[in-house]
Amino acid sequence: MEDRACPPGGGRIQRRTLLGAGLGLVGASVLAACGASGAVAPLPATAATGTPDRGGVLRIARPPASSAETLDPASSLSAYEYLGALYSKLVRGAPDGSVLPDLAESWESDPLGVRWTFRLRRDVTFHDGRPFTSADVVHTVARILDPATSSPQRGVLSPLLDPSGISAPDAVTVVFELKAPNAEFPSLLTAYQCYVVSEGSPIGVGTGPFRLESFTAAGRGRVVANPDHFAGRPVLAAIEYYSISDMQARANALLAGQVDLLAQTNLDFVTARVINASSRATIARSANAQWYGLPMLCTAAPFTDPLVRRAMKLAYDQDSVFKLAIQGAGSVGNDNPVPPGNAVWTDYRVPRDPDRARALLKQAGHDGLQLDVYTSSYDPIFTPMAVAFADSVAEAGIRLNVRTASSDSYFSQIWMHQPLCATYWYTGRPVDQLLNQIFRGGSSYNETAWSDPAFDAMLDAARREMDAGRRRTLYQDAQRYLVDNSGSITPMFADRLVGLSREVVNYAEHGFEFDYLNIGLVRRSS
Amino acid sequence: MIVFVLKRLGSAVLTVALSSLLVFFAVQALPGDVAVQVLGRDATPEAVAALREQLHLNQPAWTRYLSWIGSALHGDLGTSLVSGNAVAANLGLHLRNTLLIAVVTVVVAITSSLVLGVVAGLHRDRWPDTVISWLSLVGMSVPEFVVATLLVLIFSVTVPILPAVVLDGPNASVAELLPAIWLPAAALGVVMAAYIVRMARTSVIDVMASEFVTTATLKGLTRWRVVTRHALPSALLPTLNVIALNVAWLVGGVVVVESVFNYPGLGKLMLESVYDRDLPMLQAIALVSAAIYVVCNLAADLAAMALDPKLRTGRRTATR
Repeated sequence: MEDRACPPGGGRIQRRTLLGAGLGLVGASVLAACGASGAVAPLPATAATGTPDRGGVLRIARPPASSAETLDPASSLSAYEYLGALYSKLVRGAPDGSVLPDLAESWESDPLGVRWTFRLRRDVTFHDGRPFTSADVVHTVARILDPATSSPQRGVLSPLLDPSGISAPDAVTVVFELKAPNAEFPSLLTAYQCYVVSEGSPIGVGTGPFRLESFTAAGRGRVVANPDHFAGRPVLAAIEYYSISDMQARANALLAGQVDLLAQTNLDFVTARVINASSRATIARSANAQWYGLPMLCTAAPFTDPLVRRAMKLAYDQDSVFKLAIQGAGSVGNDNPVPPGNAVWTDYRVPRDPDRARALLKQAGHDGLQLDVYTSSYDPIFTPMAVAFADSVAEAGIRLNVRTASSDSYFSQIWMHQPLCATYWYTGRPVDQLLNQIFRGGSSYNETAWSDPAFDAMLDAARREMDAGRRRTLYQDAQRYLVDNSGSITPMFADRLVGLSREVVNYAEHGFEFDYLNIGLVRRSS
Repeated sequence: MIVFVLKRLGSAVLTVALSSLLVFFAVQALPGDVAVQVLGRDATPEAVAALREQLHLNQPAWTRYLSWIGSALHGDLGTSLVSGNAVAANLGLHLRNTLLIAVVTVVVAITSSLVLGVVAGLHRDRWPDTVISWLSLVGMSVPEFVVATLLVLIFSVTVPILPAVVLDGPNASVAELLPAIWLPAAALGVVMAAYIVRMARTSVIDVMASEFVTTATLKGLTRWRVVTRHALPSALLPTLNVIALNVAWLVGGVVVVESVFNYPGLGKLMLESVYDRDLPMLQAIALVSAAIYVVCNLAADLAAMALDPKLRTGRRTATR
């Protein structure tokens, strides 16, 4: 998976929205006729839980990252769905953004937050039988820092850490000596590029709950249960992966019972309803998994003017965008990129005020502002979001012209090039990484090109603060500052609508964490 | 006659050459810097510069075209930018898979549509004609992806007897692909047959109204003999070109249908290559498709000549 929002396959070969909707309607009517029930069942809010049968083979359909995808977790072209099954990380992320132990049992830092010491589990072996030691952790992180690996996580870690700063005093201890204090350092190791690989074993050999049996780039692959996994044996006997680029084809495979789960697929509402209406498959949600936004490029007219940016945020009606674009399946965004549910989230919200927006525009000399807002079929939510947004800012006298750009070059030609466009990211970044990677002046993912020394100083202060309570306050101040000043418009966070078989139980996924240990199948006797 | 064949061959070669030119420059015109598109958003500027160098993107397009077409003439279609493997091998594999569908579709669809078209033409304005004409109009109007989805809903979801998608990669064996080719072939067959039925019907009606058919009937020949010996060869003539174009369309890869069925054929490969900006792959696919179109048309023309005495002898009378 690329580090983007873009699950490359996920949207890479997306059907045209209209086309998908048309197919969905055909399907809906056929299925409605079969089910003989007129009312459409609401989409389930939670995934089925229960006691799974021991064993079983889960079949996952996934969009391939590229025909050159690899099992190397550090790579930008990693085959994402295999990683969590094959490997483990030092630490895992919890839904509220806190950090949980995995290969590391515990960690602590010196009072300044510069020298971090991780203590590792002693009972872990790689799939090829080699014991897991601190040398493997040193190797894994040093690889990410090596420019030759071109890992997306290098940009996050290299400003904090040099390869020479990593040491292993003994087999179960790793010490990271940072270049500057960072109280949030452990959270940066929860990224999915940080799965631990071994220096002496080939790529594909990890410490995870499943062992690799076969893998073909953009083809099929299979992993089998690792009975010696340190956290216990997984429920499933094996997982089979199939690459299906087209979203409609993935949905068809699920409906036909050829696969059990659609990975990295945010189904559009029509397809989700068709799947939910079928007897074989249903819908689960990954809550607030997708962060939708309309970044205003702060280096392009008219958004160079902070008054115009503020006016845009005051002008639109986020409740109506939320309802129209995602039918309320998620949470409103309040123009704050930190997802609700994160422990440091603030409920700060600037109420809508189209009259004030109009006045601000007049003051800025942009009375009767006319602009293009770009969208594409890359994601099914982009166009409804852009249209609903354009519709609601009209009240403030802003005329937005919705333009659809080609989806294959959307993220190289439109995003970060046009003053206003639709975009999305996967949520799941730790808050320090999120704010620094996307909002710090000059960072590579800074999609609004917003650069504000005062904000950067707030991030630095938060990083230096070792007291969790005070750090939380600092991050909340930073969020309020973002809402008031940045170029980022965040109308909403959407639940990802995941298609899965009715036989799947205990599906749990949040951010970049997937529970491969407990997911299982219940054979239905029908 | 030989002059005609030679002329036709010459124009075929010229068409392929011109299309190679068109293909090359059209691919160059795809939006987005190739190096950036290939390397993705995480690429460092040094990596982009290195790739530009490696692709000779800093050289003028003409130089690049000449060196590309030069190697292509020697059978070297280059290496894929994405996988780093030879383009020709991968292309061959996908072409084989597409041919598998194409052969089934062509055999079934052409046979049945010719029969239906002739039946409709012979029963003009009576009930068999009405039914067949209506069905073919529907087949023509409904886009193939809707036909595909309906087929999936019927034969994979409601009555699960055929797989909805192909789960195997391009290197699957023919035996592994065999169960999966029927639905795509049926979806394509419906669309393709509709055109051929209409065409065959019209020309059968035309021919049946012509004087030589009347003469043959007046001579006292049976209706069966009139139709098979006299009417059909002439009636098939205009249909040949429609068939040729359809075959070329099939073999060139059918993007939408292959994509809906996740079928590892040429069309799906083309779509992926566009998204990955795999230029050598894309150029090779386009060139092969162009060649297929030309060959199919050539075949249709030569077949038409074989069927049509006027074409066969026309050249001779003109030179006399």
